[in-house]
Amino acid sequence: MKESMMLMVILLPVAAGILVPLLPFKKRKHMEIFLETMVVLNSLLVWGVLLEFPEEAFTLTKFTGNLTISFKVDGMSMVFAGLISALWPFATLYAFEYMAKEEREKTFFAFYTMTYGVTLGIALAGNMLTMYFFYELLTLVTVPLVMHTLSREAILASRKYLYYSLGGAAFAFISLIFITIYGTTTDFIFGGVLDPEKIGGRTNALLLVYVMAFVGFGVKAAICPFNSWLPQAGVAPTPVTALLHAVAVVKSGAFAILRLTFFSFGTEFLKGTWAQSVVMALTMFTIVYGCSRAVKETHLKRRLAYSTISNLSYILFGATLMTPLGMAGALSHMVFHAVMKIASFFCAGAVIHQTDRQYVHELNGLGYKMPCVFGIFTLSSLGLMGVPGLAGFISKWNLASAAVESGNPLACGGIACLLVSALLTAIYMLTIVVRAFFPGKDFDDSGVCGIKDPSWKMLLPLFVFSIFIVVFGLYSAPFVKFFQDVANGLH
Amino acid sequence: MSYFILLPIVFPVLSGIFLLVRGEMKSRKNLLAVTGGLLVITALLAVLALAFGRGEMLLLFDLTQTLPVLFKIDDMGMVFAVVAVLVFVCAGFFSFEYMKHEAHERRYYGFYLIVFGILMALCFAGNLVTFYLFFEILTLSSMTLVLHSGSKEAVMAGLKYLFYSLCGAYMVLFGFYFLSHYANTLSFSEGSVLNPDLTAGHTGLLCAAAFAMILGFSVKAGMFPMHAWLTAAHPAAPAPASAVLSAVIVKAGVLGIIRVVYYLFGASFLRDGWVQRVWMVLALVTIFMGSLLAYREPVLKKRLAYSTVSQVSYILYGLAVMDGDALAGGVLHVICHSLVKAVLFLCAGALIYRTGKTRVDELRGVGKEMPCLMWCYTIAALGLIGIPPTGGFISKWYLAAGSLSSGIPGFSWIGPAVLLVSALLTAGYLLPIAICGFLPGDDFDYGKLVKKEPGGLMLAPILLLTVLSVLIGLFPNAVLDFIRQFSAGIL
Repeated sequence: MKESMMLMVILLPVAAGILVPLLPFKKRKHMEIFLETMVVLNSLLVWGVLLEFPEEAFTLTKFTGNLTISFKVDGMSMVFAGLISALWPFATLYAFEYMAKEEREKTFFAFYTMTYGVTLGIALAGNMLTMYFFYELLTLVTVPLVMHTLSREAILASRKYLYYSLGGAAFAFISLIFITIYGTTTDFIFGGVLDPEKIGGRTNALLLVYVMAFVGFGVKAAICPFNSWLPQAGVAPTPVTALLHAVAVVKSGAFAILRLTFFSFGTEFLKGTWAQSVVMALTMFTIVYGCSRAVKETHLKRRLAYSTISNLSYILFGATLMTPLGMAGALSHMVFHAVMKIASFFCAGAVIHQTDRQYVHELNGLGYKMPCVFGIFTLSSLGLMGVPGLAGFISKWNLASAAVESGNPLACGGIACLLVSALLTAIYMLTIVVRAFFPGKDFDDSGVCGIKDPSWKMLLPLFVFSIFIVVFGLYSAPFVKFFQDVANGLH
Repeated sequence: MSYFILLPIVFPVLSGIFLLVRGEMKSRKNLLAVTGGLLVITALLAVLALAFGRGEMLLLFDLTQTLPVLFKIDDMGMVFAVVAVLVFVCAGFFSFEYMKHEAHERRYYGFYLIVFGILMALCFAGNLVTFYLFFEILTLSSMTLVLHSGSKEAVMAGLKYLFYSLCGAYMVLFGFYFLSHYANTLSFSEGSVLNPDLTAGHTGLLCAAAFAMILGFSVKAGMFPMHAWLTAAHPAAPAPASAVLSAVIVKAGVLGIIRVVYYLFGASFLRDGWVQRVWMVLALVTIFMGSLLAYREPVLKKRLAYSTVSQVSYILYGLAVMDGDALAGGVLHVICHSLVKAVLFLCAGALIYRTGKTRVDELRGVGKEMPCLMWCYTIAALGLIGIPPTGGFISKWYLAAGSLSSGIPGFSWIGPAVLLVSALLTAGYLLPIAICGFLPGDDFDYGKLVKKEPGGLMLAPILLLTVLSVLIGLFPNAVLDFIRQFSAGIL
């Protein structure tokens, strides 16, 4: 029973999503209530599964040999599934308000809710094949969301997103085959599954496969040079950009890489090889590259998307350290960045919703008109910069001290990259804040009159996230302890 | 537990926030009464904390397992705290008159109080984490004072200040990451906190970390090559805020360097290494360059800002020598320079307020118009040059004596020589203003002169600070003995 609950939480949102266009809702409000109930219910179920997690894996079907679709809850999936299920109800609430202005709401909410289930599938996947299956599915269910506005720009963006993701998944597929051949099993086992006897002298070939798979999964995590789909996909409605392109989809990529590194290939096999240096250098480059592009970008949502690119590589950098502390750092940044970035995206969305302003230079003087939104935006900016007392400081601290502890000379360069990126983060985020609150002496007030904070549906998620940013920053010990336990294979 | 030492930190921050979020007051008088009351209460709380809290320690909570937020009042912190309280209260009362001709007064006082509280927190910080935490907040909150006028120039200066300071903060963080790995504790303690077992073989890395931290904190102290923000930001703020920025907020950087060098790495670790040598060169270059640029600068407030660049590096030079006399001279110069520079900036503010003149060459004959103010200016100028019997003489004497007795090849005599040349330049850029002010020359039209002496609210703080700066020169022994006593312990 417990085991089948895992399947349940995946199928429930998918079913709810399919039902949305089919059910004859009389009013929009009814649809809202239906969806919110389903999402909250599912989140509660997920938390139930995670807290009372079954020891055994749940195998759904068995293909030939040891290829199975199976689900299992371990520490990693607790972190990711917990994160997703905590954010989704708030994002849905936000979407109700945001989408009121847009067309084809039902299609939107159908796919939006289905994505929830699919992402949980990735989190709960017990082996490589299952994860790969849901990974591909995730691409397919999110394409309609990117395409939503049906503008030419959106169609181009979604096409690009599709090609990039499928291409990346193809590379990842190669690693699946190699693991089936050279591993003892395809299940996720902490420490890796490769069988040294089978490998024999083919170490370099396998390392090459690892690098290919890293980059392949890295496409979703927007690793440079495969990052250009992410800023383009910003044409999607903000609930999509905020939840999927800052958390669910992109972090699935990072999650898959963590699985690949720590649970399939194993750090023992990878540590100290050229493959580690290559992927670490790649993440370091992406960290600085993403931030630099963000500084240059003037479109608010695209700027945040570039920021996401950089921050995702923080997580990947932690993974490439290939130490338990590095993984703990990666996990903490995965969670903390999610909260901070979704908050800043929701702020951007609130601005777009209330004022239709998309560009940074149009935000002058809005700070006093929308004090809540810009107050929270400031808080999330400071968090992303890594001001102590907020979440970002803790995760960067974990990453950097892991880098120092690893003793890898390249990792010291990585610390420098983290700090350069922090400075650039300050530049691209705080210029917005200063614009909003200090528009200048001769600023004409008439352009912004009548603009005000959005309704509670938008503000409530923002307030909740800002509380979390502060709580994670001030009282992180239990969370970090948990991440470290996960990274040591205790859960 | 000695929670009372938190009062001078928490009270002004909360009252500042209260002023910011509260709506407009009924009249300007109410605002001033409230602000004045809050300032006085803060000062009293600070005195209380200093009088009864010496040696008290307070562990507030842990950010993570290894990052406690810890407050401790030690003798070094007390020196800085006393100076900060004096300058803040005096400049605060001065603002009551001065800020009449600026907008957004409530915002100004709100942030002024917050900065006050944060600065007290820096003085009382008991470990590097706490210090770093408040160092970043200090940057963010004091930036608003620079931005205050909202002119294009002020906004640019504010951003420049922000990015330079953050750049410094991240350099500190870089060293911080490494230090935390190799140190027993991050609490400030006399002597070295480095763990000899771990550091063996990593001296080069730790020297680099120490240098990064010194350079990082020196950004706030305006040391070459990171000084460019100072001469843009300090003059852009309203005069009383410039006084605070130039007199005490730059000292936060000095305190940071003292903490890093004498309380974390330990003087013995850095003495005679390349770090010390490079640091001394940078300090001497800054001393000379600052004076020279001040000499060439025609705008009074900018000239004073360049003077700050030069004078703070006197302190840094004293610290870099790592000799008992030089250290005592450096700490004494912290006090003298703060008092004197506050007087000079407040005088400049009073001149701008009463006459609207900002350039040095416009100030002919002002001594006849406001004799009292210009006498204060002259006495302060003499103090900065280092003419007995002012405090500046004593501190510079000890700086030079310490440098000579340190026996560092080359530097032991180059140092004092640069100090002397710079003193000459200081006379050159400060005294002509007094001379032309009092003795405008034969061709000056005396008929145009009007009595413009500023009111008591402006004059009283200036007078108080001037008297103190003279008293410290006349009776330096009490202070000097105190400084020598505790500085003997950290060398």
